[in-house]
Amino acid sequence: MRQGVLHRLDGVARTISPFFVTLLLVLFALLPLRVTDFAPIMPAVALVGVFFWSVHRPDLMPIWAVFLIGFVQDLLAGGVWGPGILGLLLAHALVVWQHRFFLSASFILIWCVFMLVAAAAMAVTWLFTCLAMLTYIDPDPVFFQFLMTVALYPVLAWLFLRGQRLFQR
Amino acid sequence: MNKPTGSEIRLASPLKAWASRFALLLLVGAAFGLMLIGRTNSFLVEETRTAVTDMVTPILDAVSQPVDTLSGVIDQAEALANLQSENVALKEQNARLLHWQAVARRLEAENAALRNLSQMVPDPQMRFITARVVGDPGGAFVRSVLINAGERNGIAKGQAATTGAGLAGRVAEVGLRSSRVLLVTDINSRIPVVVGQGRDRAVLAGDNTDAPQLLYLGPTAKLRIGDQVTTSGHGGVFPPGLPIGVVSAVGDTGVRVEPFVDWAHMEFLRIVDFEMSGILDFQSVEAARAASAEAETAAAAAEGPGQ
Repeated sequence: MRQGVLHRLDGVARTISPFFVTLLLVLFALLPLRVTDFAPIMPAVALVGVFFWSVHRPDLMPIWAVFLIGFVQDLLAGGVWGPGILGLLLAHALVVWQHRFFLSASFILIWCVFMLVAAAAMAVTWLFTCLAMLTYIDPDPVFFQFLMTVALYPVLAWLFLRGQRLFQR
Repeated sequence: MNKPTGSEIRLASPLKAWASRFALLLLVGAAFGLMLIGRTNSFLVEETRTAVTDMVTPILDAVSQPVDTLSGVIDQAEALANLQSENVALKEQNARLLHWQAVARRLEAENAALRNLSQMVPDPQMRFITARVVGDPGGAFVRSVLINAGERNGIAKGQAATTGAGLAGRVAEVGLRSSRVLLVTDINSRIPVVVGQGRDRAVLAGDNTDAPQLLYLGPTAKLRIGDQVTTSGHGGVFPPGLPIGVVSAVGDTGVRVEPFVDWAHMEFLRIVDFEMSGILDFQSVEAARAASAEAETAAAAAEGPGQ
């Protein structure tokens, strides 16, 4: 009986862990790193989390979780509400739409697709931020942010995979 | 645990596909809704945001300390390497500063005497609150930081945030134990300043780059690279004379200012409580808003029983 409860708790923890891990990443991305000129090109960690789990465990990254992650990210960033959410929703929708493609894809291929999806998501975020603020925002930092995010993807993906394997033991 | 397979999401069922499409549309709609709310109801946006930052600041505060220690160790290692040359430079600087101290003392005495003579109204007293920078959202769209002090510590909206070097920004949102400081480089930052020997008035406007722009300069203003930019005190928000930076570029693309603050090593901020109610009299605005809301509810309550 007791084991049944524990087993169930374990199951719940596994189910919500991608959501919470991504939220934690968003929170930790707020930490001031005190590295010169790093803040403007801070990688979009939420995008990595949402993409990774939408590809590998779409059942554990439902669309409402994507929305919530986006909302928390926009709240903490102190900017406009909404554009960040739209970017993440787009990334999630693109992955779900072409889900069959990922079933047999190699890591390199998935990484390349991440590049495309991240480009689309960040472009949408930039566009709607400009529209919401009614100003033109220099897209250069967004581009460097995009490069940083793409570069960070293998590192985070490796960590996520290790974590998932640890869980599955 | 089962191996993740494509069949787990079961999109094959058309009903589910429709449901997921509907959810996507609904949430995209919600995102647009939030964007509209953000534009129209800034009060609600602020309340929600400060509630969330209040919640996460204690966590950030705890976690950012080891990060600070680590970067402190790196800085120390760098300092050890340059000990000799730094010592020589510091001795020179000390000699120079002692001279300046003497000059400042003489000027202070002279200033006090002259003020006495002219019976000038003294500037309001300043009080300082020191807070640690615990969060930096980064990214391409905003330039702001979170500090671990709020209403409880006497922080109020509009106060100036400075480092030892100069003005860093303005307190934009205040929670109970955390606040958000809008940096002078943010695209929404506008600060009245005076520039150079001629004390020309201008507005320092951020544009998310490291070098904010000077706007609304008079046609007669003659600026040179290296001219000092300080707050003017117009508007009564900031005390006058807080150093901000120096003019770094004068040209067709406008006049750019390089702030004194070292953005990468901004560990603590001194919040200047300048006891002066300026144009941005938030308290009275909010009190009026609360009063009108109360009056409305009272009116509604009075009407209620009659209907």
